[in-house]
Amino acid sequence: MKLNVKIGKVQFKNPVTVASGTFGYIEKYCSPSKISQLGAIVPKTVTLNLREGNPSPRIVETPSGMINAIGIENQGIDNFLSEKLPKLTKFKIPVILSISANTDKEFVTLAKKVNNAKGICAIELNLSCPNLKKKQLVAQDAKATYRLVKAVKKVCKKPVIAKLTPNVTNIVEIAQAAKKAGADAVSLVNTFAAMAIDIKNRKPVLGNIVGGLSGPAIKPIALKMVYDIYRETKMPIIAMGGIMTNDDALEFLIAGASMVAVGTASFVNPNASIEILSGIKKYMKKNKIKDIKQLIGSIRT
Amino acid sequence: MLRNQKRYKVISNKKVCANFFRLSLNAKFLLKKIKPGQFVHLRVSDGLKPFFRRPFSVFRAQKSLEILYEVVGDGTQILSKKKRNSSIDCLGPLGTPFSMPPKGIKQVVMVAGGVGVAPFLLLTDKLKNKGYDLILLYGGRTRGHVFSFKEFQQNGCKVFVSTDDGSIGVKGRVSKLFTKINLAKPTFIYTCGPKPMMASVQAFAKKNKIKGQASLEEVMACGVGTCLGCSTKTKHGYKTVCHDGPVFDLDEVIFQGGA
Ligand SMILES: Cc1cc2nc3c(=O)[nH]c(=O)nc-3n(C[C@H](O)[C@H](O)[C@H](O)COP(=O)(O)OP(=O)(O)OC[C@H]3O[C@@H](n4cnc5c(N)ncnc54)[C@H](O)[C@@H]3O)c2cc1C
Ligand SMILES: Cc1cc2nc3c(=O)[nH]c(=O)nc-3n(C[C@H](O)[C@H](O)[C@H](O)COP(=O)(O)O)c2cc1C
Ligand code: FES
Repeated sequence: MKLNVKIGKVQFKNPVTVASGTFGYIEKYCSPSKISQLGAIVPKTVTLNLREGNPSPRIVETPSGMINAIGIENQGIDNFLSEKLPKLTKFKIPVILSISANTDKEFVTLAKKVNNAKGICAIELNLSCPNLKKKQLVAQDAKATYRLVKAVKKVCKKPVIAKLTPNVTNIVEIAQAAKKAGADAVSLVNTFAAMAIDIKNRKPVLGNIVGGLSGPAIKPIALKMVYDIYRETKMPIIAMGGIMTNDDALEFLIAGASMVAVGTASFVNPNASIEILSGIKKYMKKNKIKDIKQLIGSIRT
Repeated sequence: MLRNQKRYKVISNKKVCANFFRLSLNAKFLLKKIKPGQFVHLRVSDGLKPFFRRPFSVFRAQKSLEILYEVVGDGTQILSKKKRNSSIDCLGPLGTPFSMPPKGIKQVVMVAGGVGVAPFLLLTDKLKNKGYDLILLYGGRTRGHVFSFKEFQQNGCKVFVSTDDGSIGVKGRVSKLFTKINLAKPTFIYTCGPKPMMASVQAFAKKNKIKGQASLEEVMACGVGTCLGCSTKTKHGYKTVCHDGPVFDLDEVIFQGGA
């Protein structure tokens, strides 16, 4: 059974990975043999400098999901490369590094720093970060997306993946801009802008007032976005958004995703990604599918 | 992908006073690993409602793993309906435990509010017969919110109770019981309960130059330090309650809206 998929020049042994911000390697608890089974790992978004993150509360549970406003708390790229990366590369699976910045220039600086880092196989641009000048996310504007991806592609030796926000009118247009600028793939969806209010004191529940919705509640919407982008662009897609089970993952693969990332599900069931991988294998065996590529985009309409 | 995720059978799940339940899980292989102050992260329903796991301090770890809990919402309501021999998906033990009192300490004071008493029974299991004066100052809303001081007394712990309505013990806040502390003795304080109560303990400790620790609560998703969702502000920046905590040094914590 062939499970390998390709993005840019990079081969992944299988299509199952984790969504940025939902996988953190804690030695005390993790089972290394299980992590090594994944196709790739995507650590939490890293920025140029340390970010403290948002005031608490940072998360709230919602029906079939959660809203988060973590605020990309991280120690900065230099600390990541020297402290965290060596711990991740020992699993001998590719690391896709998610990066974010306030300006195109900062994105380029980050990409250059990552160029020579061993063990990082590709870069994911988290374009859902606030573009301070325009009070808008990069991935909410096709032109800004094009410009940024192009700038990073110019300096980056590794495949570039553009992570898109679903908070747009027409996500296909943004994906097309990324493709035109040379993006090797898109990943979607990031979280849906959302909020919750405590009616007892009429205050927002989150310290940041607003946040992003993830989990099974968003799955059908994310699926439709993946379907639309695949149909219109045929570009490689890393899909995420509420994937809890292998059935969910299969839906995304059939809609056109080359890879699937497990996010929020891991908080509820830490073993979800591994169970999904074995579930995909079972499905392929049962349906006599020899190569995962026969499954990708195989929707019958 | 986590080593410590397992299903355990329910041995018993009983109402022990008006507001609290006691759940006992057949988790033999965990018992020796658990340290006072650690918690378990339970998936109370295998479906999507409620969505998150729920964290509970380990109350006791003798023949079985026990938790003491109060029904406050849907999750704990579902938990209270678990029958003997059903099983629960459990992650743990998790978190940083209480540290043992430093050298020279003669008196150990535990200040608990309501179900915040839960981590202290295990602590007294560890601290008994070591020559400390063990004191529990225990505040609750009503008689139905204070439980199990007999087991504390069996561990040689003196128990003083206060309730908001005076239905048992002294009427008023637990801070009224601070007079029970012998300030002439080298003392260490542990506290767990509502934030305003812990803030008053922090202020008292500061005034009397007493060191101690607090066990905090935040809403949790992963429970293992991954999502950074349960972060709380400390004097050393944001720390995760699930992984860096739940136990923090008392003088490190910033109780928002509190002290
Ligand atoms: C480390 C840790 C240890 C804990 N140990 C115990 C224990 O030993 N026994 C026990 O009864 N409870 C304990 N709790 C609290 C317990 O996790 C919550 O009571 C439980 O999650 C509530 O779930 P629910 O679905 O019943 O209520 P929900 O419907 O989720 O909430 C009901 C109400 O409780 C509040 N609430 C929910 N979760 C928390 C929380 N984590 N902290 C403060 N308020 C909350 C909500 O804001 C709401 O007002 C602990 C919490 C933590 C973080
Ligand atoms: C707690 C939390 C933190 C996240 N942090 C990041 C992040 O740092 N960078 C990023 O690109 N996406 C982040 N995400 C978004 C996820 O990677 C993912 O796109 C989204 O949650 C949808 O997938 P899911 O429903 O499977 O979680 C985060 C999501 C959650 C819930
Ligand atoms: S609950 Fe996820 S970091 Fe604490």
